[in-house]
Amino acid sequence: MSAPVLVVGGGPAGLSAAHALASTGQRVLLVDKADRLGGAPILSGYAKLVPSGEWARDAIGGMVRRVQPHPLIEVFTETRVTQFSGEPGAFEGVLSNGQTHKVGAAILCTGFTHFDSNNKPEWGFGTYPDVVTTTQVEQMFSSGKGVRCPSDGREPERVAILLCVGSRDRQIGREWCSKICCTVSANIAMEIREALPKCSVYIYYMDIRTFGLYEDKYYWQSQEEFRVKYIKARIAEVTSDGHRLIVKGEDTLVKRPITIPFDMVVHAIGMDPNVDNRALAPLFGVELERHGFLLKGPSYSAMGSTTRPGVYVAGAATGPETIDDSIAQGQAAAMAAIAGLRMPVTALAG
Amino acid sequence: MPIHEKSLIRKENLIRNEKLALEGVDVSGDWSTFIGTRVITDYNEALEGEIAALPGGEHIHRCWQCGSCTNSCTVNAINPEFNPRYWIYLIRLGLEEELLRDKDIIWQCVSCNKCTYACPRDVVPEGVMKATAHWLELKGHTRPSSSTIFDEEFSGQVFAKGKIEEGRLMRKFFARTGQKLAQPWLVAIIRGLVARMPAGLLTRLGLAALIHPRTRDWGRTRDAINEYVIDQHARQRRALGLAVTPTERHG
Repeated sequence: MSAPVLVVGGGPAGLSAAHALASTGQRVLLVDKADRLGGAPILSGYAKLVPSGEWARDAIGGMVRRVQPHPLIEVFTETRVTQFSGEPGAFEGVLSNGQTHKVGAAILCTGFTHFDSNNKPEWGFGTYPDVVTTTQVEQMFSSGKGVRCPSDGREPERVAILLCVGSRDRQIGREWCSKICCTVSANIAMEIREALPKCSVYIYYMDIRTFGLYEDKYYWQSQEEFRVKYIKARIAEVTSDGHRLIVKGEDTLVKRPITIPFDMVVHAIGMDPNVDNRALAPLFGVELERHGFLLKGPSYSAMGSTTRPGVYVAGAATGPETIDDSIAQGQAAAMAAIAGLRMPVTALAG
Repeated sequence: MPIHEKSLIRKENLIRNEKLALEGVDVSGDWSTFIGTRVITDYNEALEGEIAALPGGEHIHRCWQCGSCTNSCTVNAINPEFNPRYWIYLIRLGLEEELLRDKDIIWQCVSCNKCTYACPRDVVPEGVMKATAHWLELKGHTRPSSSTIFDEEFSGQVFAKGKIEEGRLMRKFFARTGQKLAQPWLVAIIRGLVARMPAGLLTRLGLAALIHPRTRDWGRTRDAINEYVIDQHARQRRALGLAVTPTERHG
């Protein structure tokens, strides 16, 4: 049997790739810098996932439980790759625990970093405790404590969700759409309305991008069944009157300025390139695309390729991605890696 | 379109002082012209529910502001101020004052239902217009329209007797709307009827105008209708936060 495949990152894409490889009899080294597997959905405490509605700890936890004890998968947590060299089929990776491993290929499933809302200070995060992120609301649900204003623990009566926080914003060098925030926000809005029926939820948007089958399941349903209101306005600033938060902006449909009081403001934070990408790229000898995500090779000949033969990529490492698509890409990259190991690279290149 | 566009400036928001000096500088007349703020400072969350509680308004919450209704609107083509898309938005956000500015236009909907067929979300904007006009009447912002009065007279007779008597309907309608009964066209119709109608039929018509016959065994149906109508009126008034007034029983 050939040398193992190195999978870097144990989130949805990495777990999927590792399991797919092991299912074909391929040995796997799964390396994650965190103290446990699961990636963002587990580490950030996501609640119910889109679109399955399953709790992250059940869905992604199930993927972890399938990978962790697998005899062909060796898991290294709290471990980083420090050196990587060689050729397809004969790479050598050095880990931060001092071990050196010969690997046939590597799949980078290094994911993304949540946007840090402190970088948009005008929207009040870090200034007012009742300005929170979508990740924090997920944690309120997954912890079982429910949605409460952090300042005094009261149930909010009116919540604003601001879309495109850390996305589609040239001022902060983020020119991409983070793809999932609209859908996640519609989902959170419905969860809030379900948990707190007396609480009104307003979503301030520039465009709504609940793409594909998320359209009616999230956007329409949130309006039609849960009476969530969507207002076309990019918020200028979030301030406070000392008691409630004041959301200022322009309602572009009535062409009038608005200053509306809210109990809680939620930032629908976007997906940044993994903060480690600047170090990961030279380490693995791969290139980054212009926003700082890992650059994908063309998809038409082989899914999951990077600019370096024998090194593959899957999931949100390449740009904002859904969990379901990350899982699919993990399997696709595994397939590409196996094909690469069993066939000479020159034959593939032809 | 810039937000300080002239068309957005309202007369009542213009502030101008004929005689004013600021820090010793004379700014009388045009020099002291200010435009008052148009800022929206809160939403009235009850308004959408009130419209939705009236017949036709049930699906207003589906609207996503695409403008298909306004684009397809028969009345909008003649009067650009007639903008169902805009009113639906005002209602959804509870911008009541803004809605009331257009209270004398909203009733102009001709119920052609082009919007109903254009709407991708099945809001039924024609129904919303009807509900909104109804809401304006119930809240006392507008007087009952002629068509409301006609409907009341028409359905009142049907509820009471199980049939209508045209002569009486016209008399009541003209009286309540302050119109002369001796309309030239009506006089012409009646003259024509008298001249051409067989004597037997004419006699029956004359008798019906005096006796007001009812459909046979109508009593139980009438009671059921009365019960339903009274119940609906009470439900609607409660939804609008209005005192439930006794509804006239027919028959």
